[in-house]
Amino acid sequence: MYSFDWAVFWKYLWPVTALQDPLIRSGLIVTVAVSIIAQLLGVILGLFAALGKMSKIGPLKVLAEAYIWYFRGTPLLVQMMLLFFGLGVTHIYNFPDIHLGAIMISGAIQAGTLALAINEGAYMAEIVRAGIEAIDPGQLEAAKSLGMPYSLSMRRIILPQAAKVIIPPLGNEFNNMMKTTSIMTVISAAELFFAFTQVNARLFQPFELFIAASFYYLALTTIWSFVQSWIESSLGERKSVVHTPGFLQRVFTFKGVH
Amino acid sequence: MTVSLIAPPTTVIDDDVIVKFDHVNKFYGSMHVLNDICLEVKKNEALVIIGPSGSGKSTLLRSINHLEKINSGHIYVNGRMIGYYEKNGRLYEDNEKNIAVQRASIGMVFQRFNLFPHLTAIENIMEAPLNVLKLSRENATAEAERLLQRVGLSEKRDSYPNQLSGGQQQRIAIARALAMKPGLMLFDEPTSALDPEMIGEVLDVMKELAHEMTMIVVSHEMGFARAVADRMIFVDEGRIIEYSTPEELYTHPREARTKEFLSKILH
Ligand SMILES: Nc1ncnc2c1ncn2[C@@H]1O[C@H](COP(=O)(O)OP(=O)(O)OP(=O)(O)O)[C@@H](O)[C@H]1O
Ligand SMILES: [Mg+2]
Repeated sequence: MYSFDWAVFWKYLWPVTALQDPLIRSGLIVTVAVSIIAQLLGVILGLFAALGKMSKIGPLKVLAEAYIWYFRGTPLLVQMMLLFFGLGVTHIYNFPDIHLGAIMISGAIQAGTLALAINEGAYMAEIVRAGIEAIDPGQLEAAKSLGMPYSLSMRRIILPQAAKVIIPPLGNEFNNMMKTTSIMTVISAAELFFAFTQVNARLFQPFELFIAASFYYLALTTIWSFVQSWIESSLGERKSVVHTPGFLQRVFTFKGVH
Repeated sequence: MTVSLIAPPTTVIDDDVIVKFDHVNKFYGSMHVLNDICLEVKKNEALVIIGPSGSGKSTLLRSINHLEKINSGHIYVNGRMIGYYEKNGRLYEDNEKNIAVQRASIGMVFQRFNLFPHLTAIENIMEAPLNVLKLSRENATAEAERLLQRVGLSEKRDSYPNQLSGGQQQRIAIARALAMKPGLMLFDEPTSALDPEMIGEVLDVMKELAHEMTMIVVSHEMGFARAVADRMIFVDEGRIIEYSTPEELYTHPREARTKEFLSKILH
């Protein structure tokens, strides 16, 4: 009979005590930081991949399509292992630790963030493309007729409008991203889930600890849904045609991991 | 020095010819949408194009600023070929920058306005002067305010397009095109998406413009055509069927097809 250890449970559930454990504290910071950085990089990659895919220039189009095809078509886990260990053993790139003052960014965290970003870019590409394609072609024609070249039209006319279409799914991507960072455990990057597995290796109380772990992810994604609703409603104030689901609908709508 | 059999495009055309179509053809698949179009529009002339739906009016108009590609022939605007350059007797599509430069001096007004919904009225007008002509913000603002006044919408300066009526949107769209100081304006059915009570306010603005610039207008508004058109063409199945003055065209159409079409639109 498994004896539930309430002391361990409360210690790791209650943030004040849990965050006293340096493993958990730095794990949480890493998860949040990696999520934000990987998502930002993913958006940038996605933007270029989307423009590449829509480009009339053959090689660019092929490159973008190959990128999207591969990274959406293979498991993130495999991509991450390939990037970290594959590049390591072949000595293409070893991901040395980086020291920024007092902060050390391990090679595993770098590789993990990069893999998450590249994977995310492939998904963002489709979201960005859908956003751009949702804009009335008359907008680009009007911009062209005013003598605006393609890049200027994109920057000033199309993308600002597409952003409104892109932001709701982007918010959902970020929700996913925060949870998906836990995959970095396989390359021993010290994020939140890895921290809990480390504590578990010491205490061997998996039931208590992983309930506590899920609480932290739930807290992150819930806080994010508030932020997301706020962003979308403040965007919506300036007359938007985009339907934005309400907060409750968002919290209770689940979406699978890539 | 080699002797070219093809005269350089700039010397082909009289100075006062603003737009010239020289045996222009365009196909969509097997459909011949522009069929051997030859046409000249002179400086300060107003040309009105009429014709049945699907006859190629928009395609003809949109090929003037290269929103549509053509399959053969040449189109010259202000004496320069648009959209293409010729090499060894073959046409190659020009690069995007050159096309953009040429488009900057051709204004266009669309049936469905196509105002930029994320920008206010004045921002719509200032967008291209600021970013294409690189005017200072001061100059662009002053010019935009002058244009707002001209189209009678000074009080809508800071409104977004969705806060404007159709007629107001179209007047802002005209002001936006004028802000580039084009010598030539193209209008593609500028009033056909408007409620009847708003048509007049847009036509009034256009009538005033007709005195000072070259314009090509696709429109079935007979009153407008009679008031401003120097020349009219009737287009059917991609061909110019009839080219004449509004008076001639409306009262003594030469071609049977023109007569038939006019009897339909005039009841
Ligand atoms: N992108 C396209 N692909 C295929 N066919 C097209 C395309 N655009 C236009 N067409 C066809 O070309 C013909 C000419 O079209 P165009 O828009 O120039 O006609 P129009 O005279 O302006 O008609 P309307 O009065 O309805 O605006 C039509 O038969 C149309 O269906
Ligand atoms: Mg048309």
